[in-house]
Amino acid sequence: MTSVATTHVPAGHGHFGGLVWTLIRTDFKTRYHGTVGGFVWALLKPLTMFLVLLAVFSYVFASEPQYRLDLIIGLFLYEFFQEATKSGLLSLRAKGYLLTKARFPSWVVVVTSASNAAVTLALFSVVLLVFLALSGRAPTASAVALYAVYQLHYLAIVTGFSLAASVLFMRFRDLNQVWEVVTHAGFFVAPIIYPLGILPERMHGWLYLWPPTPIILFSRSVLVDGRVPSALAHALLTVEAVGILAIGALVYRARAPRVAEYL
Amino acid sequence: MGPVIEARGICKSFSIPSVRRETVREHALDFFRPRPHERLRVLEDVGFELRRGESLGIMGRNGSGKSTLLKIVAGIYAPDAGTLAVHAPLTPILELGVGWNPDLDAIDNIELLGTVMGMSLRELRTATQDILAFAELERFAHLELRHYSSGMAARLAYAVAFRAVRDVLILDEIFAVGDAGFKERCQGRYRDLHRAGHSMLLVSHEPRTIATFCKRALLLDHGRIVMDGPSAAVADRYLMLLTEAPAEHAPAAAI
Ligand SMILES: Nc1ncnc2c1ncn2[C@@H]1O[C@H](COP(=O)(O)OP(=O)(O)OP(=O)(O)O)[C@@H](O)[C@H]1O
Ligand SMILES: [Mg+2]
Repeated sequence: MTSVATTHVPAGHGHFGGLVWTLIRTDFKTRYHGTVGGFVWALLKPLTMFLVLLAVFSYVFASEPQYRLDLIIGLFLYEFFQEATKSGLLSLRAKGYLLTKARFPSWVVVVTSASNAAVTLALFSVVLLVFLALSGRAPTASAVALYAVYQLHYLAIVTGFSLAASVLFMRFRDLNQVWEVVTHAGFFVAPIIYPLGILPERMHGWLYLWPPTPIILFSRSVLVDGRVPSALAHALLTVEAVGILAIGALVYRARAPRVAEYL
Repeated sequence: MGPVIEARGICKSFSIPSVRRETVREHALDFFRPRPHERLRVLEDVGFELRRGESLGIMGRNGSGKSTLLKIVAGIYAPDAGTLAVHAPLTPILELGVGWNPDLDAIDNIELLGTVMGMSLRELRTATQDILAFAELERFAHLELRHYSSGMAARLAYAVAFRAVRDVLILDEIFAVGDAGFKERCQGRYRDLHRAGHSMLLVSHEPRTIATFCKRALLLDHGRIVMDGPSAAVADRYLMLLTEAPAEHAPAAAI
């Protein structure tokens, strides 16, 4: 039996607020090339996308005005999932150059990796709410609050996935390709372009296991239909989110100490 | 006062890359085949103490495990066995030449590396100019790192790390990079820090560096400490080791 014990004094006296902020800021800056034009585009992109999709879908699905909003919400929420999980999976390898520099809480790198996607999601949400208000269908304050709570669940799910996937990606170097296939196929599993109702009832439970499904359905339900899902549905979503986050954290804790060796 | 670093019985091995399975595909295909356990033992039963205010040298041939030992001490690698206690905040300066975000300029990269090394944003606000001045790169403050020469990038990294030092400093081959003027400045900074009471751990292949900057030194060979004594004697023994078995290159044995 061998014994291992290591103790260190943290160099930053435990404060890493500066690190968190720097990671988020530089991620954003890298993505938009640090130019003013890039920054403005980053802010305008969700609005532009929203308007383009709205115009196209209004034309294509002129007879079903409800469908075009459902479609737009589904597309944006799914894109968040796709983008955030992808950058989470790649985060440790992409920031590997920092991991070999000093000992620091490396989970910060994983958790902040979703920040770009989260900014886009937040902007989209604002655009969506403004649009709903302008078209005379302003959701109630409690509907908006519920929508925000769903997005927090979404973030927890994405973070849990990223924690596990980022460390596993160090060992399985084609994990990103596997995940890409899964998210592409998953686009059709989530009820984005078709309504859940066209599938047999017995399959619904399984579809809810795919995290974007409940988030998209519940978000549409409170914002567009003005219907609040049941307490049981909410409880199941929370269980799913907390469960994924907990499993991700456990996988991360088991694997993280060896990550630097595999860079 | 007790030592700042106490290491006892440190062991470390790596699985050899050629037998590592690196993809989902490989794992799936090899699922039913027994996994060959070929591991490279890099450190075996390494123990030492760094006393407060001491500058301790480490020498050894290529692949003898020096950098691995420093990474374990810095908490970047986890040891397989042994105990390690570091009683003061520690700043590593290891392989700093490589690894920047090429899309960001020097200022942003300084902020990234500085916060990773434990500096606060407030500290960095005042330190950034000093760091650029020490590296003599003020003119290139807003240049993206992709356009830096490798020497410039290395200088920037050392400048950040020297500024981030809290108490213990560990250095890997640092005096080997940069031009003569920069080397001189690094050595001057090293002396200042040592005089100010910082404890240091210094890896070098250069007998003169070890003899000048350290009183005591360790000699690592095949992952074991084969000598712990006055730096001049260790440097001599190191040179003998080089002539003894010049052809042998392997680190510790594969098992
Ligand atoms: N992450 C890793 N994965 C696998 N093997 C590794 C890893 N890091 C180091 N090694 C192996 O450990 C051995 C010792 O490497 P190390 O870098 O510690 O040597 P060193 O004494 O610093 O050599 P040098 O004088 O060339 O810097 C080498 O054989 C190297 O291949
Ligand atoms: Mg080395």
